[in-house]
Amino acid sequence: VSLYLDPQIRDWVLFPITVVMILVGVLRHYVVLLLQSPPKKQPRNAVREQRALVRSQILRATSAHSPLPPSYYKAVSQYLSQAFADGTYLKDGPPKADAPASAPPNPLTDPNAMEGMMAGMKTQMVMMVPQMVIMGWINFFFQGFVLIKLPFPLTLGFKSMLQRGVETPDMDVRWVSSLSWYFLNFFGLNGLYRLILGGENSADSSRDMTSPFAAAAAAAPQPGQAQDYNKLFKAERDNLEFSEGLHTWIAHDVESRILRKYAGVPPNADDETGDGMVVKGTPARRDVSALFSQT
Amino acid sequence: MEVAFSLQKLAAYKPRKTQKSKETLDAGLVLLENGGHATKGEAGWDAIEKLALAALDQGNTEVADRCIRILSDKFPDSPRVHILTGIRLEATEKTEAVLRYYDELLEENSSTAAAWQRKAHVLRQIGKVDRAVEELSAMLDTFYTEVEGWIELADIYLSCQQYTYALQSLSHALLLSPQNPSYFLQFAETAYLAEDIPLSLKMFLQTVDMTDDDDGDIAPGDSVPSGITLRAWFGVKLCVSKLIAEPRAASSSPSQTAAPSADNLNALANLSTERLRTAYLDIKHESPPTGDNELIAALTPLVK
Repeated sequence: VSLYLDPQIRDWVLFPITVVMILVGVLRHYVVLLLQSPPKKQPRNAVREQRALVRSQILRATSAHSPLPPSYYKAVSQYLSQAFADGTYLKDGPPKADAPASAPPNPLTDPNAMEGMMAGMKTQMVMMVPQMVIMGWINFFFQGFVLIKLPFPLTLGFKSMLQRGVETPDMDVRWVSSLSWYFLNFFGLNGLYRLILGGENSADSSRDMTSPFAAAAAAAPQPGQAQDYNKLFKAERDNLEFSEGLHTWIAHDVESRILRKYAGVPPNADDETGDGMVVKGTPARRDVSALFSQT
Repeated sequence: MEVAFSLQKLAAYKPRKTQKSKETLDAGLVLLENGGHATKGEAGWDAIEKLALAALDQGNTEVADRCIRILSDKFPDSPRVHILTGIRLEATEKTEAVLRYYDELLEENSSTAAAWQRKAHVLRQIGKVDRAVEELSAMLDTFYTEVEGWIELADIYLSCQQYTYALQSLSHALLLSPQNPSYFLQFAETAYLAEDIPLSLKMFLQTVDMTDDDDGDIAPGDSVPSGITLRAWFGVKLCVSKLIAEPRAASSSPSQTAAPSADNLNALANLSTERLRTAYLDIKHESPPTGDNELIAALTPLVK
């Protein structure tokens, strides 16, 4: 059975819904960009605390081929180890001896974590509000008729969802209402957004699906950070000790390396002709016995 | 990151009247007059910055002002422009004004490490060395990765003959750039001044090892030492002579570095002499002097 649809349905419903959704998507992208506030500048102490770990990592990175002689390496390593134990790098100064282990700051009261959550929630509102508005608009204006015939067959279970305004018992499920065209567009326009707005666009609906989890995951470790540094510093001390054992100075046996590299260079001390001339590039005058004189 | 690297270079900048800066100034002025900088994109703005620095080298503050005005019109909030303005102020303004300017920059937090370092530099210039050391140490405690800052700190300590602290600062610089041979050379020279001859010898040899281009076509034994390698060989010669002349120096190393065995020491003495003679011959095209002391004296001006 083939229904004949009024071409005006195509002109006045199909295209407008698509055009409106594209425009709203682009608008969402730019609104999210405007809403993103720049990362907050951190006070000096916080910066110092964050970079203290990097300092120890720099030291450890080259420990197997270290430029420093053992005494200097140990001096730096032990200074850092002591500083970590005392907590001199912590943002609020060394922990007082009598204070109990403080609980991680409550997300509702800690201002830093609060801001992170607010930023996530703002983006979510921007995503959700246009969707609700468009759905309401479609339901109000474009209800009660079928819009398109899907090119693929579907089971009867979809009838109630896709033919919301026109519940006829016999009509093929392939004839669907305008709301389903909305859903088709919603999932299908991601590719178009990627084309227009580039890869990292905020109009991408696949982001919305994961965003509640992403926002929660981002907020969760945030409150623990103040406490974490103390533990991280303590853990780093073990790493420092390990690297200290691993330490080798690259200049440890540099003399034998150099002597081996330059083996065969005739020593000038017993220069026979006495004019000290050594012509560059000639392999002649290579005293074979010189090769055996190196230890 | 490109921006951070340029900020570091600006932070460590010292005005120096050289031939090269004069040439840059002349060439750059032509460009400035034509207004060609606007069309060249990134390279154009970099050229304007270089021109401003060359102008400050030569003491031409007017050209520097023009350049800075162009840059600040284009990039109003750039930390690099702020530091450049600071450098220009250092050239003419009184110290208190300059220090106040840098303090303001530090409050604003936009270019903190570089501004801090320049403030310490200004303090050093006017002679307040202990305050300079304090500021620089505080800066490096927070911003550990500013290599140029560590080098400047070592330089200040060296000028006050505080060799241990200088060596410690240089060791941090070495940790941050272990592939840079000039830091090894600086470390070796400071160790020599600090009377730690075995350590100095090892570091000089390490510099040679790093810079003698043993991957090239010529075997190292046939090549002529030049530049940093020559300076390092010179250092090796001095250390070896000292170790042979004063056996006590071999056992009294503050860092407990082992001195080479007697055989190795002699081999190194011969090798370093040969290297230096080859280099002398190459530069002066005449026979090098035979005695040790004469050789050293002859080479001293060449390695400066």
